[in-house]
Amino acid sequence: MQRRGVITSYALFGATAQMRYTEPVATLDADVLVQVPDPERLDVLADIYSFCAEKGYTTEGEAVRVGAWPAQFVPVFSDLTREAIREAETADFEGAALRVVRADHLAVIALSVGRAKDFARILALIESGCVDGNAIKDLAARHGLAAAWQRFEARFLHD
Amino acid sequence: MTDVKELLKRQARWQKSRQQLTWPEKIRMAEQVRDSVVALRRGSTGDRLADGPSKSAGRRTDA
Repeated sequence: MQRRGVITSYALFGATAQMRYTEPVATLDADVLVQVPDPERLDVLADIYSFCAEKGYTTEGEAVRVGAWPAQFVPVFSDLTREAIREAETADFEGAALRVVRADHLAVIALSVGRAKDFARILALIESGCVDGNAIKDLAARHGLAAAWQRFEARFLHD
Repeated sequence: MTDVKELLKRQARWQKSRQQLTWPEKIRMAEQVRDSVVALRRGSTGDRLADGPSKSAGRRTDA
């Protein structure tokens, strides 16, 4: 997809990325953050869906079935996700190189969304030892989420 | 109550030990859980709800 110019970059995020750092978690699909050449288009994912259809991958609702997983493509939607995709790490997945969002970015993206399962993700990432509260705090502050992090800390991390 | 607490602690320890699995192994475990969830939903609520609510409902975007 990158070689064809359909996307300029990608990185796995969400629960499947989280599992690189924590214990397995339940999830129904694989979230893929993507950067597209023309992010202002109304049908921003159209070329991705067309590419997948060409390759014989079928859609399942908003996702595209790629092998065993429905893949949900999410275009970068903030400075935070732009930074996350830019600074993603390349990991080995059974011989394949996969770009995956770093643990600190996963935590702060979760903080920005703010559902119960996102808070559970942040706690799991901290417990795994892959990221600490200070790193999350600094990153959150750089992206206008300092207050959200303070609330999270008060609610879940302070006795 | 102590037994229940001990059970929960053991479960938490077991769950945390799963962190030591390789990433592909964890993904495979998640696949099995996912397939079970989808099968359970199909069984209890019919095909229409088998795949759960839309994920885009939870995403925030820049205004």
